[in-house]
Amino acid sequence: MIPPAATLSRNSLGWYLYGIAAADDASAPLGARLAAGAEQEVELVAEGPLVGVASRVSLAEFDEQALPERLSDATWLEQKIRTHEHVLERVLEDASVVPCRFCTVYRDEVELRRFLSERRETLQAALDRVRGKVEVGVKAFIDRDRFAAGQARQNDEIRQLETRVSTAEGGRAYLERRRLEQLVASALGDFRGEVAERIQTRLLPAAEDGHALPLQAPELSGREEEMVFNGAYLVTADRGGFEAALASLAREIRDDGVDLELTGPWPAYNFVPEELGAA
Amino acid sequence: MSEQQSLKQQVTLLELVDRVLNKGVVVSGDITLSVADVDLVYVGLRVLLSSVATLEEPRERISTAGAAP
Repeated sequence: MIPPAATLSRNSLGWYLYGIAAADDASAPLGARLAAGAEQEVELVAEGPLVGVASRVSLAEFDEQALPERLSDATWLEQKIRTHEHVLERVLEDASVVPCRFCTVYRDEVELRRFLSERRETLQAALDRVRGKVEVGVKAFIDRDRFAAGQARQNDEIRQLETRVSTAEGGRAYLERRRLEQLVASALGDFRGEVAERIQTRLLPAAEDGHALPLQAPELSGREEEMVFNGAYLVTADRGGFEAALASLAREIRDDGVDLELTGPWPAYNFVPEELGAA
Repeated sequence: MSEQQSLKQQVTLLELVDRVLNKGVVVSGDITLSVADVDLVYVGLRVLLSSVATLEEPRERISTAGAAP
């Protein structure tokens, strides 16, 4: 019995494109590693000097008609997001890769190949930029108590006030404490304004490139301390020079109550062109 | 994404979401979801993560660079 056309299309397969690598970079070990990867069968679709790192997926699962349902299915989303990242991380172990946005799904292989062929130059330029490099994330959090203690060491007025607060009594103690709080808050405001530049000045010379990213709210950052800097850096894959610069900065800035947090290595999500433009 | 999930995973998922759904190249051609569709998913997940994260206590770090004095 021949199924109705609608059923046919619901069952058809598309190509989920995780990223693009260079054919001469994405060598035999990469293919073997990807083949050994458990959760999703990944194929290298070679088109000229480029390969698309892709999986065959059910169009019914990824079609825009399925979106409202998927959007509310957090488990499905999390699994797909993690798969996207895991596949790219496995590629990154052996090759440089230009990561694609989540859920980049071509309806057929012809369309995928056309994209790789038509955008060859732009993609190669993007690949050249990230070749041999990875992205790392650096976030800075400030501990207010430690910041105040650091200020007391550095700032005479604050240190003297602290001494007076510890010995004063009653209404006077209250006023002195308020004054101390205002001074620390003002110093913190100044510090917030300059800390990003201070971090960038130290880390950018040790990186190929770097961007400041929007700060994350405390309920999202996973830490109670206020985030004062969020950055992404493109660094050489061995990361040696960058991590040395980071460790040196971390020791220095710790006295101001700031802790640095390092994440990655990531595929260079923040260092590839967002839009490749029309062909 | 259960509320029992550890915060360590939450943080990592947020890092992932901010990259996988918000960055990376947007391709051309006949694709099933537009970038606007993915943006919708991104915004929805951001809201979801923040509402889950506020329920999570205590907080935990993923890694601290240069922790040595």
